[in-house]
Amino acid sequence: MRNQLIFSAAAVVAAFALSSATHAQSSAQQSPTPDISGVWQVTKYQPRMFPNGGAPLAPWGEAKFKAANPETNDPNLGCLPTGVPRLMFVPLPLEIVQTPTRVIIVHEGVQALREIYLNRQHPKDLDPTFSGDSVGKWEGDTLVVDTIGFNDKTWLDAVGLPHSEKMHVSERIHRADHDTLVDDATIDDPMAYTKPFTVQQLYKLRPGWEIQEYVCEENNKYTYQGK
Amino acid sequence: MKVQEDKKIGANAMRNNLLLFSAAILLLLSLAGSTYAHHATASFDMTNSATVKGTVTGYDWTNPHVYIYVDVKDAKGATEKWSVELASVGMLARAGWRRDTVKPGDEITVIGNRAKDGRPFLHLNKLVFANGQEMTQNAQ
Repeated sequence: MRNQLIFSAAAVVAAFALSSATHAQSSAQQSPTPDISGVWQVTKYQPRMFPNGGAPLAPWGEAKFKAANPETNDPNLGCLPTGVPRLMFVPLPLEIVQTPTRVIIVHEGVQALREIYLNRQHPKDLDPTFSGDSVGKWEGDTLVVDTIGFNDKTWLDAVGLPHSEKMHVSERIHRADHDTLVDDATIDDPMAYTKPFTVQQLYKLRPGWEIQEYVCEENNKYTYQGK
Repeated sequence: MKVQEDKKIGANAMRNNLLLFSAAILLLLSLAGSTYAHHATASFDMTNSATVKGTVTGYDWTNPHVYIYVDVKDAKGATEKWSVELASVGMLARAGWRRDTVKPGDEITVIGNRAKDGRPFLHLNKLVFANGQEMTQNAQ
């Protein structure tokens, strides 16, 4: 089923890539859309959002964090989706594909597909999902992404910082230079944290790299003891 | 005894050299960002390195991790079966590994971090073949 999903995703990406090329020709007179497409790899793995501790945990978040054990109940152990924003910190390559109406992120890690819609608002009454619902707009050379509609089944980082369904993630993604992409992600979750905080991830352009198959369930020797 | 852990190596100089070497390897790997596992590395002792020398019995070219299986004989001839965990297929391919890089029967030396629970299980930092060829997980 997952492979079917991946093939479907690939077909969608290909179709939109074609429509993007057509659109680019027809809108040559308009100001060019910033180009952040390509295969990118994080420059440094950040397993902890707060390397020295001090996350502004609220009581609900504190209890969840105390129950987190990276060796037994990290959802990744069961090959569950990494979700947003943790996906953006996974040190496996991601490919950004741009179309007139979407920015599509195909991530090698757990074969995740993330779609950022440029032509609509968030739907009302969203079902909670691992990656939420992302909408974006261009502000100059920066893609501003707003994501809500999460379930609470993912961690923010590899040591178990939690989040609730009330999480709101705001990202500002821009190309610092030709080879460097920056994602400043602000996490606002009043149930889990006493105040919003921002984490930055840098990526390096990797010409010649292609997204490879990564079927986590193929030979996973780890046991997930979470729910 | 072909399995050596740093704390068992007698000469301080050798130990210090190995620690420095291991630290350098870990630094390089962290810079390359290629030591990522879909699980935390908390289950491995990342501050000490261990060296295992033996004969390859299997090689899983799989995700989420590639594995090498090694039979290691001690001084009395008893065999201990070790498992060595590597990164994903994609990241290893970018570091020059292939599905036939390691073959059953190969005599190899593996330098890595041992599981904290004492199992014969390593997180690989470097592999050395009998002919001296070395392989790491650093993507190119």
